[in-house]
Amino acid sequence: MITDFPATPLPLPDPAELDSELAALGGGAMIPKAARRTLFPVITKEDVFNLMLAQRQAPEKVVADFAEAYRSYVGAAHALPTASGTSSLHMALVGAGVRPGDEVIVPAFTFIATAQAVVAAHAIPVFVDIDPVTYCMDPQAAAAAITDRTRALMPVHVHGLPADVSALRALADRHGIALVEDASHAHSAKVGEQVAGSLGDAAGQSLMADKNFPLGGEGGIAFFATEESYDRARAYLERHAIDYGMSWVAAAFGASQLKRLPYYDEIRARNAALLGEALHGTGLFTPPHVPDGHVHAYNMYRITLHPEAVGLGDIPVFAVKEAVHELLVAEGVPAREWQNTPIPCHLPFQHRDGFGNGYPFTLNPGAVRDHRPEDFPVTLGMLDSTLVLCRELRSPVEYERILRYADAFRKVARRPDAIRKLVETRDYRRPYDKAARLG
Amino acid sequence: MELFDTATVLARVLTTGVVMSIEKSDRELPGLERLLTKQTGRARAVLVNSRTAAVHAALAGQGIGHGDTIALSEPDAATGRFLDWLGVGVEEQGRAAYDYVSLDSANADRLGELTRTATAPALVVDLTGLGFGPAAAVLTDDDAVWARAERLKIFGAYDLRTMWTQEEADASLVPGVQFNYRLSPLVAACVRMALTQAARPATPTGARS
Repeated sequence: MITDFPATPLPLPDPAELDSELAALGGGAMIPKAARRTLFPVITKEDVFNLMLAQRQAPEKVVADFAEAYRSYVGAAHALPTASGTSSLHMALVGAGVRPGDEVIVPAFTFIATAQAVVAAHAIPVFVDIDPVTYCMDPQAAAAAITDRTRALMPVHVHGLPADVSALRALADRHGIALVEDASHAHSAKVGEQVAGSLGDAAGQSLMADKNFPLGGEGGIAFFATEESYDRARAYLERHAIDYGMSWVAAAFGASQLKRLPYYDEIRARNAALLGEALHGTGLFTPPHVPDGHVHAYNMYRITLHPEAVGLGDIPVFAVKEAVHELLVAEGVPAREWQNTPIPCHLPFQHRDGFGNGYPFTLNPGAVRDHRPEDFPVTLGMLDSTLVLCRELRSPVEYERILRYADAFRKVARRPDAIRKLVETRDYRRPYDKAARLG
Repeated sequence: MELFDTATVLARVLTTGVVMSIEKSDRELPGLERLLTKQTGRARAVLVNSRTAAVHAALAGQGIGHGDTIALSEPDAATGRFLDWLGVGVEEQGRAAYDYVSLDSANADRLGELTRTATAPALVVDLTGLGFGPAAAVLTDDDAVWARAERLKIFGAYDLRTMWTQEEADASLVPGVQFNYRLSPLVAACVRMALTQAARPATPTGARS
């Protein structure tokens, strides 16, 4: 039987390991190779049983019941279940009134689906830079990009931290345009008591199995603040005969996962706080910033490096980051870059073939730019100086595992000599000088 | 389809813990691809999450896009509306851009027979009628059609470890618009079971009589 049950338990942390040699230099790894698999999503007997029960129901009812349960959890007025996050964003844009040739302002730092959903709506993504602290859309940059053809702002709640919704809401209202959330990282994230997905005129959210709230494979959901926008999206699907339907199999899995989501959210928050405290003590690292009144969902956990704090201020931060990355991976902490160049520098937005022959970019040539990475200096600064934990914080990992992750960061931060030596022996390139990666 | 069989398949996949399409260790999607290529005699399969996704992939695979015209004999009204959304015109004369087969429990054992006379560069097989939600596939003998169709899906033929990079792409494969048309492994596993069971009668119960 192929099972995801762990093959071996992880030993409790031992303070002596902090002073042992780095794994990259021949020492023992903080997370032994046999214990590195991070389970996600957590699948329980309730998920299995729920799927068994769902077989005996009408498929439409399984999907509708799931959508209603999650709509109620989020607090949105209307919900449209879809096959994916991309299709949910497409529907959110259409529902918000985006039409062919319109401009939609999106952040240059996000997953490529944010911008591709705009193209799916036959509209033009206009890319703007991010805030240097939250890494979400910069409201001032968005304001500067508004034209008389702008129809919507689509901020992304990056990694699970809600964007500056109040500033963006005010901006949208001032110009009479829509605010559409990309809440794909932000399940259970909040501003005050309001849950992401219910903050804008419409929202799209991925529910694929690698998200904090996973369905059984692929799925998404669009939320709408008004019946008019909900009806507009549904009429669009009917008019164009597009099948964006969610499978009952995916929905049934999500129904039981939803009941456990608050539990997993609490574990994620606990682990994020624990790791954050450890990072603050290293000098080299700081955890994600969370503005007052915001609840971060920690779909990803972006860590900032401060080389000057450990005497490495003379080395370019991207090189320190690369060396630290190498050392952490050797310790068994699979840190990642998660994006290494602004989205407009990915090939689909350099070539801009769209649906073929340049459509829909040909509808509004004035909105199209040949971007270079340097057009987004804040994004580049973030890419140079940060590393990301993904499943390691998303999964409700065991207490001993999060303690060991924390110790791995402590162990690496204690060795600026090793970091310097690695930089001297390697030929590290800046993130955006390497081939663009999807994640 | 027998509930017992579906339950067994779902429980088996859930026990593996791999339910995401872009996991390198997923075995369900490649398994369904192998079954479909074997039953249709085509070299390559592209799995997607709906009939319209398969129509889109069949066209994108051939480099057909907005502003182009295809031949298609008697397209139904829904297909016509979808093609119009893609910006693809239709004429009834000429070699069809794709052949189309829709499977359900009544004909699931005849996929090979139903596709034997298909001659278009791409074959769209709608699997939705098997009962596990929207699902479809594009079959082809042309590697370039397969590669371009895969690229229509975000992540396409790549996974979490081998994410698509610009260095790996040659110019003819650079995608334009992309959708998440990826099929879920759980759905793929059920579809594969349905097609396999259709070829040999299902066991009605786990208990021996």
